[in-house]
Amino acid sequence: MMKLNARTPPNDPPAVRVPDGKPAVADQPRLAGRKRPRFDTMPYLFILPCVLFCLILLLYPVVYSLTLSFRQATVDTFVSGDMPFNGLIQYQAALADPVFWRAVINTVLFAFFSILFQFTIGFLLALLFQVNFPLKNLCLALLLIPWVSPVLTAANIFKGLFNEAGPINQFAHLVGLGPFPWLANPAYAFPATIVANIWIGFPFNFVLLYAGMRSIPVDVYEAARIDGAHYWQRVAKITLPMLKPVSVAVLMLGTIYTVKVFDLVWIMTGGGPANATHLLSTYAYQVGFSLLNFGEAAAIATLMVLLVLLLNLLQLLLRRA
Amino acid sequence: MSGRTPAARPLFQNFKPKSPNYQMKRNTPRKPGLAWLSLFGCTLMGAGLASAPAEVTNVEIVHYFSVQGQTDALNQVQKDFEAANPDIKIHYTYVPFAQLVSRTLQMAAVHKPPAIAAIDNPDVLRIAKAGILKDISAEVSKFPVWNEIYPGPKAAVSDGSKVYGMPIGSNSLAIFYNKKMFADAGVSSPPKTWAELTEAATKTTKPPVYGIVFSAVNTEESTWQWEPFLWSNGGSLGELDSENARAALQLWVDWVKKGLASRDVVNWDQGDVPNQFETGRAAMMEIGPWRLGTVKKSGIDFGITTIPVPKEGEKPVVPLGGEVWCVLKGDSKVEQAAIKFIEFTQEPERLRKICDTFNYISSIRSVAQQQGQANADLLPFVEQMDTARARSQDGGAQYPAISLAARTAIQKALTGQGSVEAALKEAAAKIKPLLGTK
Repeated sequence: MMKLNARTPPNDPPAVRVPDGKPAVADQPRLAGRKRPRFDTMPYLFILPCVLFCLILLLYPVVYSLTLSFRQATVDTFVSGDMPFNGLIQYQAALADPVFWRAVINTVLFAFFSILFQFTIGFLLALLFQVNFPLKNLCLALLLIPWVSPVLTAANIFKGLFNEAGPINQFAHLVGLGPFPWLANPAYAFPATIVANIWIGFPFNFVLLYAGMRSIPVDVYEAARIDGAHYWQRVAKITLPMLKPVSVAVLMLGTIYTVKVFDLVWIMTGGGPANATHLLSTYAYQVGFSLLNFGEAAAIATLMVLLVLLLNLLQLLLRRA
Repeated sequence: MSGRTPAARPLFQNFKPKSPNYQMKRNTPRKPGLAWLSLFGCTLMGAGLASAPAEVTNVEIVHYFSVQGQTDALNQVQKDFEAANPDIKIHYTYVPFAQLVSRTLQMAAVHKPPAIAAIDNPDVLRIAKAGILKDISAEVSKFPVWNEIYPGPKAAVSDGSKVYGMPIGSNSLAIFYNKKMFADAGVSSPPKTWAELTEAATKTTKPPVYGIVFSAVNTEESTWQWEPFLWSNGGSLGELDSENARAALQLWVDWVKKGLASRDVVNWDQGDVPNQFETGRAAMMEIGPWRLGTVKKSGIDFGITTIPVPKEGEKPVVPLGGEVWCVLKGDSKVEQAAIKFIEFTQEPERLRKICDTFNYISSIRSVAQQQGQANADLLPFVEQMDTARARSQDGGAQYPAISLAARTAIQKALTGQGSVEAALKEAAAKIKPLLGTK
């Protein structure tokens, strides 16, 4: 809340302070003797825009989407606005669709492998960057490129790289392998999208972990060194535990970021071949905007939010254990 | 602020309350004066807007045309139309392709429909079902060009009795071939039958060059690219478990299996397909007239031939692309103005100019024939217009769901996740309940 009090004169002389830094006792009665301040609307006015923003742009769409998932909202009913409530029918329809379950499994696997590699790569790089070496700052800047490059561009580049006649297969050919049908075969296409997502997401993990490591006091390491702990012992016994609050935040944000990935997969495979790479996000989009079944798409989106909550809850439990 | 200095600090100082500069600005009477002036100006403008509608009718048109030539053509039409009808003003609203339908529905749902929406032809009947499109059958029957409309485009805009729009123009698919690669491989004439097509593809396949390239990506594009083969073979999306459908899909699967087409076709959209052709990595491609400009620019010596048919002498049946001017239900005055605009675009000479700049084939026979005579590249597409079908003729309002099932089958068969028969059978089982057949 705001601590600003508009009626306090700005040039109030500082309260007399006793040497230990606390306000002198003589100051207290003056405050107590004042009339009880009347309700101050000013601070609330200040936060009003923010509250309105949250209500209109964040809460309303969520609630609307939720209600939509219980209504029969298709092309025929959307315009007239009389979308009748049909209970759980759309959830049943979604749950009965094998493509939905494929998308659920894909989303979980996509998130798991993406985060596993993003976090590991980010952590190892962060360790490396604790050491000083020439051109460190340049490398630091270069490592951020995947994170700042637009996903649209990155996805198209990966699509080109994984092309049957693309650079990756040419390289594989040099070492006597392939050609692999990277994006043309369901068994390869899904890992290919994960690889692309790892590339896009690892700098985010790296930057946060790097900053987290820098905030660990050096003397802890020095003490350990004197005690004779070697490098990996220091990493395992000091860096990892002291980095826990940062890691928790990174993993949680990573889960959210990864579960909602849409553009990358949509551009690289469009959810194909034969629905093999659909995530919940691309599947919901297809149902909503290609089939124009808004109600079922909203139901899928709601289930997707539940999945994010579930995954984060799982992480929480794992951490407690 | 007035003091735009290169260094950041002096600029920042301007905001400090103690800065003399700031004080001066605060106290000068010019600032409130300006504010009042601009407020007054706004009021004037508002008054102007408020009094104007008594004479001027505003016609809003939503569309997704973004290519330079297309927007130029639209702006020219607007200029000419407004000069001829000073009481009507045209406003174009651009909406990205994927959002046009949902945006139009949204606008109608909040009772602010656009006057006209340029809707992709397979969507017209589906949107008409939502009850937001005006039946303009009485009006179009008075258009001189209406009697000359090809049967395919006519089917796309009407459900038999009612008419929900007027086509801007049509496009379809044909085979583009690289003349030099054909000559090098000893292919003397462009393929006319499936057997000749496969033969030409076999001869011209010389790694890394593929004989043929098409799009089988997980979007509507793959169904649309497969339909010429399905329909020319007498098949339909409603009966995917038939022998006709099996043979049409087997044709594609064989190309990929034999390496005449890349396995990547399941990921190539209609942007990737011409890229392969234009960079000399494919001898033939299946694509439409909208790409002519870029293919010419690539410097490749190319020819175009109609879609090959199963047996000699048969007629190719291709799906129709292209957008339709649709009038939305609303204020009757706006509706009339919208119809006036559509009629204006359908005057033969103007229609030809629009279609030429769009690289579309007119849906009106006489205009299309003129286009074919003037431009040999368009001739194969004009030839196909007589037998071309609207996609909504194959499934009506259920077309999107049917198309989705069909392309899943196409992708399954092409990636070897199931036999052609099994994939099509699965799709047919999904489609039949949608159509209410057994």
